[in-house]
Amino acid sequence: MSHLVSIQTEVRDPAAIRAACDRLHLPEPVFGQTKLYSSTATGWAVRLPDWRYPIVCDVSTAQIAFDNFGGRWGEQVQLDRFFQGYAVERTKIEARKKGHSVTEQPLEDGSVKLTIQVGGAV
Amino acid sequence: MNKTIEIIVAPNGQTRVETQGFVGSECRDASRFIEQALGQQTDELLKAEFHQTVSNQQQIRQGE
Repeated sequence: MSHLVSIQTEVRDPAAIRAACDRLHLPEPVFGQTKLYSSTATGWAVRLPDWRYPIVCDVSTAQIAFDNFGGRWGEQVQLDRFFQGYAVERTKIEARKKGHSVTEQPLEDGSVKLTIQVGGAV
Repeated sequence: MNKTIEIIVAPNGQTRVETQGFVGSECRDASRFIEQALGQQTDELLKAEFHQTVSNQQQIRQGE
């Protein structure tokens, strides 16, 4: 028997945040208190391309704080790319921790396919 | 058959995890670590591939 599971990605791992930034050629994430337009947030601040304010990832709650003024101060697609990069890197990190080999393949629709060989050495 | 876990990460970061080549509930145990690491499960579909194959063979025989 096999199964298929859909998952809503949650950002909870600083190592994967760092790896996602590296993958997307973004500045390194910085931990601390960050000022947004009218508020402040504490967590890992990530600077997305052409966004006026950083996004702030609170890994203890998986909440992402940001203010892009409904898209006028930063495109949603950049945030989506960060989520995708995070999910890819988190998967690779966790697979390698278990000693599994993992391969990555880009798909035509912009998705990324990862295949983990269970029991295969890295 | 090789045991694999396939993960499709959509452009918006949503993921789909699919196991292949496992026997019984072994598949759930094998992929649990990756599902827990990625976030909240929103949907699950069990694929009884073995039984489906038997059923297809029976249908072919009945049609003969």
